[in-house]
Amino acid sequence: MKALLHTGGLLLLALASFACVEPEDKPSNVHDLRVLGVSTEKPELIASTCDQTPEAFDELAEELTYRALLVDPAGEGRPIQYTLWACADQDDRTCKNEKDRALLAEGTTVAGELTLSIRPGAARVADDKLLLERVLEEDAYKGLGGIRMPLVLRAVAGNEEVYAQKLMVFWCPVVEGMTANVQPVLPGLRVDDVAWPEGEPLELSGPGPFVVTADDVSALEESYVVPGLRLQAVHLKEAWEIAWYSTLGEFSLSETGGADFGGQEGRHRVEWEPAEGAAAQEVTFWAVVRDGRGGSSWLVRRARWNP
Amino acid sequence: MSPKSKARSALTAASLLLASPALAQAPQADAPTPEAAAQAQPVMTKPPALLQQVEATYPPEALAAGLTASVRLIITIAADGSVSDVLPTEPAGHGFDEAAIAAVRQFRFSPAEVDGVPAPVQVEYVYHFTLAAPPQEAPGPEQVQAAPKATLTGQLISRGSRSRVAGATVRCGDDPEAPEALSDADGRFTLEVPPGECAVRVVASGFQLYQTKEQLQANETTEVNFFLAPTAGALETVVRSERPKKEVVRRTITRQEAQKTPGTFGDPIRVIQTLPGVARAPFISGQLLVRGSNPGQTATMMDGVSIPLLFHLLGGPSVVNAEFIDQLDFFPGGYGSQYGRAVGGIVEVGTRKGAADTFHGSVKVDLLDAGFFLEAPVTDGISVAAAARRSYIDTLLPLVLPKDEGSTLSVVPRYWDYQVRVDFGAKRDARSEAEAQAGGARSTGYVMAFGSDDQLRLVSSGPETERDLSVDTHTLFHRIKGDWTYRKGALTSVFTPYVGYDGTSFKFGAAKQNGVGYTVGAREVLGLELSSELTVRTGLDLVYEHQSFDVEFPAPENFEYVAFPGAESVGELLVEKIGLGSFDGALFVEADLKVGKFTFTPGVRGNFQRAGDARNVALDPRLWVRFEATERTQLKGSLGLYSQPAETFRFITLPYGNPELAYQRAFQSSLGVEHRLTDVFNVDVTGFFNRRYNNIAAPGELRSLPKGGVIQVPYSNQGIGRALGLEVMVKKQRASASDRWSGWLSYTFSQSLDGRTGPAPEQNGSDFGGGFGGNGDETYGLSPFDQTHILTLVSNYVLGNGWELGGRFRYTTGRPTTPINHTFDLYQVDRNRFNGTYGPYASSRTSGFHQLDMRLDKSWQFQSWTLGVYLDVQNLYNAENVEFTFNDYRQRREYEVPGIPILPVVGVKGSF
Repeated sequence: MKALLHTGGLLLLALASFACVEPEDKPSNVHDLRVLGVSTEKPELIASTCDQTPEAFDELAEELTYRALLVDPAGEGRPIQYTLWACADQDDRTCKNEKDRALLAEGTTVAGELTLSIRPGAARVADDKLLLERVLEEDAYKGLGGIRMPLVLRAVAGNEEVYAQKLMVFWCPVVEGMTANVQPVLPGLRVDDVAWPEGEPLELSGPGPFVVTADDVSALEESYVVPGLRLQAVHLKEAWEIAWYSTLGEFSLSETGGADFGGQEGRHRVEWEPAEGAAAQEVTFWAVVRDGRGGSSWLVRRARWNP
Repeated sequence: MSPKSKARSALTAASLLLASPALAQAPQADAPTPEAAAQAQPVMTKPPALLQQVEATYPPEALAAGLTASVRLIITIAADGSVSDVLPTEPAGHGFDEAAIAAVRQFRFSPAEVDGVPAPVQVEYVYHFTLAAPPQEAPGPEQVQAAPKATLTGQLISRGSRSRVAGATVRCGDDPEAPEALSDADGRFTLEVPPGECAVRVVASGFQLYQTKEQLQANETTEVNFFLAPTAGALETVVRSERPKKEVVRRTITRQEAQKTPGTFGDPIRVIQTLPGVARAPFISGQLLVRGSNPGQTATMMDGVSIPLLFHLLGGPSVVNAEFIDQLDFFPGGYGSQYGRAVGGIVEVGTRKGAADTFHGSVKVDLLDAGFFLEAPVTDGISVAAAARRSYIDTLLPLVLPKDEGSTLSVVPRYWDYQVRVDFGAKRDARSEAEAQAGGARSTGYVMAFGSDDQLRLVSSGPETERDLSVDTHTLFHRIKGDWTYRKGALTSVFTPYVGYDGTSFKFGAAKQNGVGYTVGAREVLGLELSSELTVRTGLDLVYEHQSFDVEFPAPENFEYVAFPGAESVGELLVEKIGLGSFDGALFVEADLKVGKFTFTPGVRGNFQRAGDARNVALDPRLWVRFEATERTQLKGSLGLYSQPAETFRFITLPYGNPELAYQRAFQSSLGVEHRLTDVFNVDVTGFFNRRYNNIAAPGELRSLPKGGVIQVPYSNQGIGRALGLEVMVKKQRASASDRWSGWLSYTFSQSLDGRTGPAPEQNGSDFGGGFGGNGDETYGLSPFDQTHILTLVSNYVLGNGWELGGRFRYTTGRPTTPINHTFDLYQVDRNRFNGTYGPYASSRTSGFHQLDMRLDKSWQFQSWTLGVYLDVQNLYNAENVEFTFNDYRQRREYEVPGIPILPVVGVKGSF
């Protein structure tokens, strides 16, 4: 506790100083090539048994839909080359170890939603070994957090290059009560307490700020069970996080929600302010939700903004 | 003018100098049990008295020229009462100095006593050379009997503080034949003179010449109080002498230095940061980073009892109230066997004994808090001193915090601390005097209590806030210690028992923790002077702690389960009651052995710890050597092993503690030389090499459980470190109360490495090592606190008329950083964070730190009290120093976090 207080003191001072230093590039402002989110459908696979039988591995070899949200506002529709690998080591952020990686897909696309069908659970690496087994061998926790297979997407456009690592979770029922994760989906967004429809751009004018909120998600947040480090069942409840993005201006918070270690959950409320001096334009907004256990999806909204 | 000359002398204000606590500290190496005495904060129990005075020869040339002079001397009186050294403080010339010194060297004093034991002391002495008119024809005996007398009696009081002025001479006029009186310990005097007008002259060292006129009636007694004006600031004492050093490096900070060093806000612990071997802590933090060690590895003690929580409120002011301290001793390494439980340095805060003359006190108000200090004699032999302080930020903050409709923002930081000390046993009645003279036993002692209380409550709620937030912390501690010093002949025993209570409570949302700790400990130091060449000290240092915690918190990730990256789920509520006792005991023995010009001090400290199921043993052999090359030059060296137990709470059961932790260890060595350039200039150059191992690292390794499962041990003994360097200290002390300038230059050249053995931990949240970015593979390298060059200049000048100006300039090399080397984005989708790509580990540094702090003090002396105001300005020229660097969210660009800008602080202090 005393160490915590000491460290906390320094952190407090550091945070106070950080507040005085404002980086120019804001996470919520999208202006170049980025991967804003990756989602797999299903978000996780769960075998019916923890015995490492061929049948169990077959269950985990199910085909999945891989979606990546690629944005490139300055690219003017330029081609984006992509490569998708699965590999064994989470610390290998670029899947550079060729012996431990399997190519899942590659090609060329443009900004937008990249959709691929993949079967990472069936991927094999050197010596025709199942990648799942290699992942388990690399895992210091011996699968107590699930078999977390890194899926690394490399996207290249012009001289910009992004590696985006997503963990695909393969489970088995280690403790009683474990069920497969359900993909988190935001029911809707509101601007200044007015519903924000998906199809038509919203008319916005003035300098703002505009208050953007997500419709209540508390009923959608699942309670779930994971195995504890001492093989006990640990009961958790999701606390969704939403990452906010726009092609103009910035959000007051780039991320909302989640829970701190005292269980205090954040509100999904942000304020959007257009850039000072900007001309009237159509602005794209994204809200990417994560459930904190691998599930993710996003909403895209548009607005016509006049100064 | 008559050709007849007269040399007169006056022993002035010996008590003033002797009252200086640093002067009356542990006796010389040849006095009994100096270490034991040092523990007891010894004080002057008997001033020296002049037994044999020798008249100086009036310098013939000066006599011929009709010159007069007053030669101010510093006399060192040995423990046997002989004069061992005489130095003029302000040369008078014309042969007066030589004549005075020659005479004074033949003086003989009764031995002064410190805590009842004869001890060497220094006094200031003024020798007056005056010329007198030829004597009138001596009156007959009848005339003498018939001459009427008047009596002038009274008390001499220091203006502005009401301290009694002892040892001052009171006389009427300049006539050297005129009778004079010497004031006693209470400042009282009685002078019998012929009636009529008396041109009173009071001469006292450290005070301005006092002159007034009194009309004295025949056969009547006139009672007066004279308020003497100190030559320097009120309440000021001059430290003329340091305790003899045996340790290779011991640096002492006086109360004056602790209170008035610029840029430290009068915080004694922060003053230590200006000494060699101590790296600069970030911002205005008071962390002690000693010779490459990490925060928490330097022990801070108050009169031998560990201070459990050194700083108020998240690194705020230290709990050590500068008003209550006598002096601080700082050992950066190579300390003796009686010290333990630290692998870095040691800070020993010596507290202040209550005044023996009368009631004194002070009240101080500054930006953060207000406090008072009181001291008074209770009865003969018993005195009390007390101090307390409380912050008032909690009352000011609501005035500046924003108030939004529908939202609540409340921040309540609050702290207070106190210290109380009652001394007894200094009574000097005839019987105890006789017993002491006969070599009988003598006991002195004191009881002291100190404690601190910190609260911080933060509530933020409302629909427009990011989340409803509630934080409530409360930490407190109380310590009561006794101190019994027993002396008989060559034997000294100092027994220090203590008890303590600690409380912590922490609430953060649904997470709650209430902790209670009880401490009981004792230290016994036994010293025996077997001969003038051999002194042996031995003792025990025992402490038992019991800590219990009631905790209630949502299942924490990575302790209870493997968290998914970026997960911020809400865990089920866990409720635990944890209790643990730990014992740490040490047996130590060491000896001072003089062989010619060498003094060897070998020692060993055996440590045993029992915490839960853990049993740890560590043996720490130590040796230091001093060689007196000349009277002014000493060579010194040390080497030894040091141990520090992990705190009790770290031994709680897995996965929240590690019951298998062992002692943290260190090897420390040093080699140096110290030279006294002049009486007031000292130079100390010391090189050091330290190696730390088995230090606590967090987190520890992953461990498979026998019944299945895997846990990450929160702490392990994998921490290692190494430091080498060179320290230089040049210190200028004030020669006398009229010497206006003091200060020091401190320089350290060092390289410190820190890290851990083995691979990087799985969940890297390490407190130590590699704390400045990088790819995370390296586990050993430059310490985040490494500073190659650390230069500090501190200076203080008494401008006069109550004004005092101080300055502190610091330069340190910038801290190590690992530069980013962005070539592509590395995005962790689940965590919604970017990883960086980096250049070589710790291959860069922030730019150097430089800062000037200034402090201006002004005091007004009134008849019985003094008002002081100070302005302490940090970073006077508003240097934009870099404290940290951080990268933007995409790890593409590095940003620098500046330190504090110019920061003026005003404080007011009234003392009486």
